[in-house]
Amino acid sequence: MDFAPEHDVPIPYMQRTRDYYLALGYGNPYRWAHFTDVPFTPLTKPLAQARVALITTAAHYQPGVGDQGPGAPYNAAAKFYKVYSDSTDTIPDLRISHVGYDRKHTRAEDPNTWFPLAQLQEAFKAGRIGELAPRFHGAPTNRSHRTTVETDAPELLRRCREDSADAAILVPT
Amino acid sequence: MSLVARHLEASGIPTVIMGCARDIVEHCGVPRFLFSDFPLGNSAGRPFDPESQAATLELALRVLEAAPAARTTVQSPQRWRNDASWKLDYSNLSTMTPEEIAEKRREFDVVKAVAKSKRDDA
Repeated sequence: MDFAPEHDVPIPYMQRTRDYYLALGYGNPYRWAHFTDVPFTPLTKPLAQARVALITTAAHYQPGVGDQGPGAPYNAAAKFYKVYSDSTDTIPDLRISHVGYDRKHTRAEDPNTWFPLAQLQEAFKAGRIGELAPRFHGAPTNRSHRTTVETDAPELLRRCREDSADAAILVPT
Repeated sequence: MSLVARHLEASGIPTVIMGCARDIVEHCGVPRFLFSDFPLGNSAGRPFDPESQAATLELALRVLEAAPAARTTVQSPQRWRNDASWKLDYSNLSTMTPEEIAEKRREFDVVKAVAKSKRDDA
């Protein structure tokens, strides 16, 4: 039997990150969100009749806050801390220099790899989805779990409802 | 983002997450998850490969439509490369010298200070 190599599994990010920051000298390891119960809402209409929302962790390009890529080093100055929204009619200039993507193996040169708006526009033209919501929404990163749950998530829900979204696609980076 | 998906779902909006960090998303627990076994930053498909990107979105839409219950994860059949050695690189201490680790600590302290001052201003 010719099995795949042992390391050819999804990367154990939590273990790697814990070990990494401990070795760097930081105690008090990060606790990732963890629940046993998970909510579930079935899709009640065919996707071809549904209005779909898109939520991203990417940020608008911001002049004056340093290199934002492609291929930029981690840039905390490019972070944002409030939910934002923008039109899905055109493709915005979004960047991901403010998040911890795999900088050794990817350069963030093609926004379609982290922000599938162009693909969703195609899916709409093909009749695969009924409609694209008029706005996409940006979700802040580097928040406490509490801020995400008490401030950002309710705000994103409010905006999705305002746009009468039937379903949402969330794309973290 | 997993917390946002849970909040939307609990409030009546079905969601699907497209992502590359399988353990983190599943540890949180989300309704529907399309996992791409790609380097972080490629949740929506391979760079400059419209076919890969379209196939990734299509799979996410199928998961959105057809997941039978919460915690449904589907793994995309796409491979980043045949050789999986890229998976050994991310934050892997066994490949770093003590000098590199010390340098990373200095870099991270700077990044943390910048993020904190931005957050305090926000």
